[in-house]
Amino acid sequence: MIGSQIALLALLVVFAVYIVRLRSTAMDRLTYLGLALVGVVLILNPEWTNIIAKWLGIGRGADLMFYFFIVFCLFHFATTAATLRRMQRDLATLAQQVALDDASAKSEGQRGG
Amino acid sequence: MKPEPQEGVTPDAIAATWVIVPAYRESAVIQPVVTALRRLGWKVVVVDDGSPDATSAAARRGGAEVVRLPINLGQGAALRTGFAYALAQPGTGFVVTFDADGQHDPEAVAALVAPLVSGAADVVLGSRFLRPEAPGEMPMRRRWLLRTATWVSRTTTGLPLTDTHNGMRAFTTAAIRRMQLSQDRMAHASEIQAEIARHGLRCVERPVRVHYTSYSLAKGQRSMDAISILWDLLLTPRRSRS
Repeated sequence: MIGSQIALLALLVVFAVYIVRLRSTAMDRLTYLGLALVGVVLILNPEWTNIIAKWLGIGRGADLMFYFFIVFCLFHFATTAATLRRMQRDLATLAQQVALDDASAKSEGQRGG
Repeated sequence: MKPEPQEGVTPDAIAATWVIVPAYRESAVIQPVVTALRRLGWKVVVVDDGSPDATSAAARRGGAEVVRLPINLGQGAALRTGFAYALAQPGTGFVVTFDADGQHDPEAVAALVAPLVSGAADVVLGSRFLRPEAPGEMPMRRRWLLRTATWVSRTTTGLPLTDTHNGMRAFTTAAIRRMQLSQDRMAHASEIQAEIARHGLRCVERPVRVHYTSYSLAKGQRSMDAISILWDLLLTPRRSRS
């Protein structure tokens, strides 16, 4: 196993733990902010990506960025899917409550004349 | 409306029963379905799953109570809404689910409720495969799809059922209260069985006849829908039990 494989696997494990255990809206925002800062630093110092890539055993800095991009996408998919699922569930509960309230209001109206 | 006498059920049992009919875009057929159920004395609540057509009005003309969902949520969510409605009505003891498209026989509702009234079961499921069938009654592709679905359900829940995706079911209110249902779309059929198995509810099957018409076949499940059902079952996490 080369350094890059160990590093990438470790990164995936960190993300899995993060998504299952540590997630909160504030932590998500901090994570996004941290990633953005890393992006700014690497734009200002493009040669650093090559140095880190060599150190990890990945050929070029561009490959390193590609791997990071994949992990970032996984993170983004996971947070988006969780949000959508929660919204779908809340929407169903809400729609059901509206429907039941409407029905009981109508039948009471009939009874009242 | 004076109900006609039916075998196996007393007028008290009929008065304690709500028949839930989930409906989406069924304005063309729902009125006679409701009328036939009402003529036998059953209380009917149609859950209109956000239909863009006149399903609600047609159901009311047939004599049903109507609960109209403001948006389309799927059959599982419509059934949950119907259960919530029935449980909120005073004196409800039994709940029956019934398809809106006219493929079920209103006369068969009594046979489904009878084992609940006698206390022999908590849940009664309709089965298409328990009675001798006229040749050509069920289309071949439909038969194999249902057989496969039944085998999958039997293997995963351990319930010895012969037909796992039949829309005709009857429950005691106690059974409904124990089941935790969360599937919005068609995967609720498998979910209901999983809940029956999890709570050890007493469950029997009763033969029901299904009238396949070109209308019901066009509206019913297609083979490819099995993929969507599996997707929902595998990817939708169970509602938290808080």
